[in-house]
Amino acid sequence: MISFKNITLKVHRQTLFDDVSLQVADGDKVAVRGASGSGKSSLLKCAVGALPVAGGSIRIDHLVLSADTVAEVRARIAFIGQEPVLGAENVRDALLLPFHFKAHSDNKPSEGRIAQLLERLHLSSDILEKPCKRISGGEKQRIAILRALLLDKTIFLADEVTSALDPESKAAVMAELFRPEITLLSVSHDPGWIKACNRIIEISNHQLTESVTDPQIGNQKSAIKNRSTGGAP
Amino acid sequence: MSSDLSILSLLSMYALMLLPLAVFLYLQLGIARQTVIAVVRMTAQLFLVGLYLKYIFQLNNPFASLAWVVIMLLVANLSILNKAGLKRGLFFWRSLTGVAGSTLFSAGWFILVAIRPEPLYDARYMVPIVGMILGNCLRSNVLSLERFYSGIRKNENEFMTYLMLGATLREAVRPYLRDALKAAINPSVATMATMGIVSLPGMMTGQILGGAMPMEAIKYQIGIMICIFTAMVVAALVNILLSMSIAFDDHQRLKPGVFI
Repeated sequence: MISFKNITLKVHRQTLFDDVSLQVADGDKVAVRGASGSGKSSLLKCAVGALPVAGGSIRIDHLVLSADTVAEVRARIAFIGQEPVLGAENVRDALLLPFHFKAHSDNKPSEGRIAQLLERLHLSSDILEKPCKRISGGEKQRIAILRALLLDKTIFLADEVTSALDPESKAAVMAELFRPEITLLSVSHDPGWIKACNRIIEISNHQLTESVTDPQIGNQKSAIKNRSTGGAP
Repeated sequence: MSSDLSILSLLSMYALMLLPLAVFLYLQLGIARQTVIAVVRMTAQLFLVGLYLKYIFQLNNPFASLAWVVIMLLVANLSILNKAGLKRGLFFWRSLTGVAGSTLFSAGWFILVAIRPEPLYDARYMVPIVGMILGNCLRSNVLSLERFYSGIRKNENEFMTYLMLGATLREAVRPYLRDALKAAINPSVATMATMGIVSLPGMMTGQILGGAMPMEAIKYQIGIMICIFTAMVVAALVNILLSMSIAFDDHQRLKPGVFI
């Protein structure tokens, strides 16, 4: 469960969110949309304590995000950025990177598990020995997702993670992240991805507006427009 | 003893400066004025230090020498923070601890364990040895602090990724710490490796010009190189570790307000 309560967020003295709240229940698949610069990525970042909020509180499951809990919160959440950083020389080292940290050093995955996940994400096992600099953007995105899956996390914050993927790879990624036990808060422009989400949140005028579900993309836009005009002060 | 340079001889050296100045003026490099100011400053500062040291050596009083050492430490510390682009008010005491601790430790080792002069606090040893160590620590500390924090700032996404993957602050900064220390230490390793072939070190040359036997001079040179190296490594590491507790907030984010 992810809960944002009365969050005010300022980045470089610019207000991105003004007293907004959002509840994401276990198993929810939420897509966040909005104009560029509206704060979609920042919303995800503040949930993992990567950006300081000016007001309000954030809760992940039973943990209220604070200096004392931030490590545990980060341990529960898989955060996959728009341009994921692998942080190692080659792909195998990148996948095993978190297991070098004390927090995960006891849960090192088996070769079999890695091979199985590679296959599920449509990646060849040759990729393990490749330098991270030499793999494509789409492969990087899937490696970052695979790494999060190896950590057995159930809360995923995903920022445009299918932007560089072909349709087959995208389907493979969605099959993993839309499993019922996974709670997903995502930023996406991809119609297929948004359609698969059970909730859609629109960011406009520093506020979050929940859109009607099960939408035809065209109708939905107008529904949100009406709402935000109606709600404007 | 070496022959003292007469005022006339010294003037002949200033005459040599006319050559580079002529080049600057001819090529309109726009640094002639700065160069003249630098030479004047060097002359004035060295004469003052010469006078001061003359009295310090005559007095040979441990407190007077120590006072001079403290001044050198304070100036070096401020200079490190300024050049590394870090706020003085925040880091002053922490970096002073690193610089002073490591310098005094390795200078103390050299003087008390290896040289053992009579008296132990002899200003002729204490002041120049501390000065040489400090001068070298200064460069490596600026380099390591600057590299460390700019490494994290430039690779903020990577640094945050480490934290998101469960790294503690110490684990997340390790790659930048390694880079920073290597950057600070590599030049000194290279200097040691070529010393005597590519360059004749300043202290040894100075001693020889001052009338010392070469074999005597090289032993001091070896001693001081090891002192400088040890102090440099310790100061760079201690400074980074001590600065971390104020440079990051309680969510392990780099505070924006720590840089000038």
